Amino acid sequence: MKKFWGLLLIGLMAFAVVASGCIGGGGTSSSSSSSSSSASSSSTTQEKVTLNFLSTQLNPPEERAFVKDQLLKGFTSETGIKVNFVPISYSDMVTRLEGEEKTGKVTIDVIGDLHGGMDYMASKGWLMDLSNMPKLQGRTFISTFEKYSVINGKKVYVPWMSATYVMVVNKEAFNYLPEGLTKEDVMKGTDKWTYDALLAWAKKLKEAKGQPELGFPAGPKGLFVRFLHGYLYPSFTGYQAKEFDSQDAIQMWNYLKNLWQYVNPSSTTWDAMSDPLLKGEVLIAWDHTARIKDAIETKPDQFVVVPVPRGPKGRGFIVVLAGLAIPKGAPHPDQAWKLIDYLTKPDTQIKVLQKVGFFPTVKEASGKLPEGPLKILAEGVTAQSSTPDALVAMIPNLGDKGGQFKQYYIEAFQRIVLNGEDPAKVTKEIKPKLVGLFQQVGIEVP
Amino acid sequence: MERKSLLPYLLILPAFAYLLFFVGYPLLQALYLAFTQNGAFSLDTVRRTINDYYFWSAFKDTLAFAAVIIPIQLFLAIVFALLLNKAFKGKDLAIYALVIPLTISDVAGGLIWYSMLSPYGFVNKVLMNIGLISHPIYFFGYQFRSREFLAIVMAEVWRATSIVFIIILAGLQMISKEYIEAAEVFGASYWTRLRRIVFPMLKPSIQSALIIRTLFAMQIFGVVWILAGRDLPVLAGEGFYQLTVIKDYGVASIYALIIAGLSILFGAVYVKFLKAEYLEVMR
Repeated sequence: MKKFWGLLLIGLMAFAVVASGCIGGGGTSSSSSSSSSSASSSSTTQEKVTLNFLSTQLNPPEERAFVKDQLLKGFTSETGIKVNFVPISYSDMVTRLEGEEKTGKVTIDVIGDLHGGMDYMASKGWLMDLSNMPKLQGRTFISTFEKYSVINGKKVYVPWMSATYVMVVNKEAFNYLPEGLTKEDVMKGTDKWTYDALLAWAKKLKEAKGQPELGFPAGPKGLFVRFLHGYLYPSFTGYQAKEFDSQDAIQMWNYLKNLWQYVNPSSTTWDAMSDPLLKGEVLIAWDHTARIKDAIETKPDQFVVVPVPRGPKGRGFIVVLAGLAIPKGAPHPDQAWKLIDYLTKPDTQIKVLQKVGFFPTVKEASGKLPEGPLKILAEGVTAQSSTPDALVAMIPNLGDKGGQFKQYYIEAFQRIVLNGEDPAKVTKEIKPKLVGLFQQVGIEVP
Repeated sequence: MERKSLLPYLLILPAFAYLLFFVGYPLLQALYLAFTQNGAFSLDTVRRTINDYYFWSAFKDTLAFAAVIIPIQLFLAIVFALLLNKAFKGKDLAIYALVIPLTISDVAGGLIWYSMLSPYGFVNKVLMNIGLISHPIYFFGYQFRSREFLAIVMAEVWRATSIVFIIILAGLQMISKEYIEAAEVFGASYWTRLRRIVFPMLKPSIQSALIIRTLFAMQIFGVVWILAGRDLPVLAGEGFYQLTVIKDYGVASIYALIIAGLSILFGAVYVKFLKAEYLEVMR
């Protein structure tokens, strides 16, 4: 019995030590954060300012650590301005900003979010017009991005980072180019690099190698659906959804049916193209930059990244574009602008590409990249964004209806291409449902 | 007196509370998600499910997998159990070997078969090295759905036959030796003994094995998802897809309810048609 009480006492003491440690730790961290926020509200001198930077991007733990420990430390040591980086979800950020804008007590200094979200916040009138801010020196923003950052005649954000989907070519495939198409055409994305040329190339490859050498990530978690609504549809019809059942769209579906004869049949089980490329199962593939990065880093001499082909209406491709904005009535707009200036410097942008794989929005950055896999990727991405016939598609901001949106394109693909149903009938049937989604959310059909 | 009559209820109370909380409450929640819209009764979700392009193929494929896989498993399990119901050297080892796949999760099992059957996997490499084929045989891809079906059947038979086997073996061991010996005395052949004594007395085990296997077959998911993605949609896979990708909780609930409904239906059928027979009361 004595032993029992003794053990209980030891246990209680151990618990007390642990508990006091927890409480003490919690106390210090909360006091430090409250002191920093009081500093930001009470003082106006530049040295003591702390900026609140809310971002829906760079939220995973490793990326968060990179932002706090490396990226923003550099800024603070350069300017003396402290930054409180707050990773946050889109819906939480909108709720917070809405509350602050309505009560007039704005505490957010800088917002980092995707184009779709910026578009929404700008339409609500929550973002500051940045056109009167001083010019950002020593950089040229890629013109398509610059164009998107002006919404309803107001410059509402500065392009920050981008991501996209590209084609990867195993250099061996260049030995089987079809007549009239050169390696140069493909690498630069000239007028000759068309979807018909891709078809001829894939056909020639299959005939020469005995099996289909083109691949897409059309598995259940693959991103092939982005190829349908953001690449083929704009290239053939000029729009992502507006012309879903038009003559041009039917022509596009017939093209894809034709092309599918030369596509590796395992495509419907692949979620990412890195492995099939590395294993040599395909020589040409399309996927998100992050999902082919591994192949290029493993065998940088084997692969090149090239722009996608063009269709009758232009070269449709998706750009995932993140921007930086300042809310209306933000407490420290001048210091916030300094942060935006720092984050869009070519050197900073390269650091971001190297560490987290987002691509620069300024042209000067790719020139400063060291030779190697990232340069191959960045050059392909820049070549694609700089093609004169670019038709940039943005992923529509449908919130929780985004899944249903994707499902309609997948269903059309499955029924028309895989099951051989009549494209006119299938697209007629799906279009009203697709358009209905946009009406429910209240945004224009892209 | 009163206390005594309360006791049975008190004894089942914990189990009842457990079922109420972990089965009853989610079931009500699923019914609510499936049959209401904005708080009022509505069949809109049902309509959405039935009109979904994948719904009927998911329904048919799930039943087709069950119809093909379960008889094969039952047959193999009975054969193995009869073989292993005799005393021989290495019997324990043989039982362990048969049961090992049971310890592997369905996703892991699916991955093992995927890497074996993929175009550059083990099976194709062996066939190519011995010169039987010059190009890999594709087992996966929408165009090869019948091969995917075959691959899934193989993986499932390999993975889940052992649970049927264990139940049947336990059933066999419970049959009293006296019946068999009596039959032997009267000169019954091996087949007659199987038909007249072993199978009738095995019915309760076969019944529980079939119920358990059919429940699992209605929920088939991991292996299909790994090997065929949505080329061969199944009910559980579509429920998962609706929940995680499309975020339509109502439709996902209907898939879950259909799986539950089918399981109850098949369970009832087995109970009705595989009634246990006792030799003592037979004519």
